Amino acid sequence: MSKLFGLSIEDKLATTHFEVDEKPHIWIKEQEICRKCVNKPCQVGCPARLYRWNEETGEMLYNYEGCLECGTCLLICPHDNVHWSYPSGGMGVVYRFG
Amino acid sequence: MKEVGYKFDVIVVGAGPAGSAAAYTLAKKGFKVLLVERGRVPGSKNVFGGRVYADPVGEVFDGLDGAPIHRWVTRERISLVSGGEMSSFEFRGSKRTSFTTYLTELAGWMARKVEEAGGVVLTEITVDGLVVEGGRVTGIRVGDERLTSDVVIDAEGINRLLLERAGLVPKLSVRHTGLGVKEVIKLQRDRLEDLFGLEGDEGMAWLMLGDVTDGLPGGAFLYTNRDSVSLGLVIALGDAVKEVGRHVSRYVEALRLHPLLRRYLRDGRIMEYSAHLVPEYTWPDLPHLLYTDGLLVAGDAAGLLLNLGYNFRGVDFAAYSGYLAARAVERAHEMGGMTSENLAIYRDLLEESFVLRQLRKFRRAPRMRENRRLYGAYPGLVNAIMDQLFNSPYETPKVMEALRRAREGRIGWLEMVRDLLEMVRSV
Repeated sequence: MSKLFGLSIEDKLATTHFEVDEKPHIWIKEQEICRKCVNKPCQVGCPARLYRWNEETGEMLYNYEGCLECGTCLLICPHDNVHWSYPSGGMGVVYRFG
Repeated sequence: MKEVGYKFDVIVVGAGPAGSAAAYTLAKKGFKVLLVERGRVPGSKNVFGGRVYADPVGEVFDGLDGAPIHRWVTRERISLVSGGEMSSFEFRGSKRTSFTTYLTELAGWMARKVEEAGGVVLTEITVDGLVVEGGRVTGIRVGDERLTSDVVIDAEGINRLLLERAGLVPKLSVRHTGLGVKEVIKLQRDRLEDLFGLEGDEGMAWLMLGDVTDGLPGGAFLYTNRDSVSLGLVIALGDAVKEVGRHVSRYVEALRLHPLLRRYLRDGRIMEYSAHLVPEYTWPDLPHLLYTDGLLVAGDAAGLLLNLGYNFRGVDFAAYSGYLAARAVERAHEMGGMTSENLAIYRDLLEESFVLRQLRKFRRAPRMRENRRLYGAYPGLVNAIMDQLFNSPYETPKVMEALRRAREGRIGWLEMVRDLLEMVRSV
């Protein structure tokens, strides 16, 4: 049961069912390219907020586990730097309502 | 690569509305059909806004007898939102034309129909590629196994990775795509009916334009299900990339917490958060690929969805295109094989049907929706007029006077006339 106000993205993702695959279906091809990317649209465009820029290490952190499988990151990356495929059979998001 | 011994007449990729419609239609006709789905169950990767137009889907699936229908949409509300103000137009009809449901439930029901008709439905199978031999699609590849068929119907959905991998279509472009983000919020059934003034199985579709998307092209929606609402928004991705100022999940959050909406949702709890892309092609770009030797493409994978800005039609377009793909296979079979020449009948069938007729008729709609004034200036204008007409303590202005005042600083006459003409031509 989740309350309705003051929800973080983690709270919201907790309402969605996932079967987490052992092997990721998303990865960043070259961290160097993210370092040079000016806008980093993946940070705001991914509805699950799976991409987070780490200023200290200069790395784009990403997490495939809460992926809603919309495909937005693949399209909005200006440098075609996201590898994205469908998770293996039965894995990934399991929408119960859709 | 291992060849799996059994050969199917038809392999359908994706058990969404398009795939199941194709598989069901062909299985009924006696074709040996395999429907493969990567999700745990059919429908578990599908997301929609919230409503389905019944007749086209019923034409494919036996009048929808036994289908999971939540509510029949008899109330249509369209609201223009600016700041804390909102002007709404509401139509209360009496016909049962479209209904709300959960797409996962509906797609599950469709896939069960496929099995009842003798089709084989395999879930938890992610197809890795199409097998293309000498320019002809001859089957699918799953891991290092290969399944062959006379024809493959690709209903893999909007991301159409298989078509891209086979080099049959270019990478999907942000220009042709919207992002939909949605929450399903549980409410007590009687509370929901009270809040929205619904009786029995009546439902409401509510569209909101304006600063619910921060002025970005797109809109917000609310559909009433049996005992929940589907609340979300669609943002045209082309613009979102450049201008989304805050995280997209924040837009839905802001929508749910909007002063004008929160009273409806106060007692609710979120049951699911979801996101999905929406095809937004313009005729005649559309579609990139409908058929080739040994292959037909249906549903979102072919970009077949109608977005008018005030209404969306995706599920019925998908199901009907799947149905027409099946009929094309039947005809090509009679003509002697699944060649590109014979399968071209698919395009003719689509052209003759409401699917491409509608997409052609509304070909200007996507461009019209790019007009920012629809999401900023006009909602503000309408609300400013209403404010003057109803909130003038002593002297109510004439309508034209209110319009003139509301218009100042917002929009020029010439722009207004031009927009009006464009709107009339587009929708």
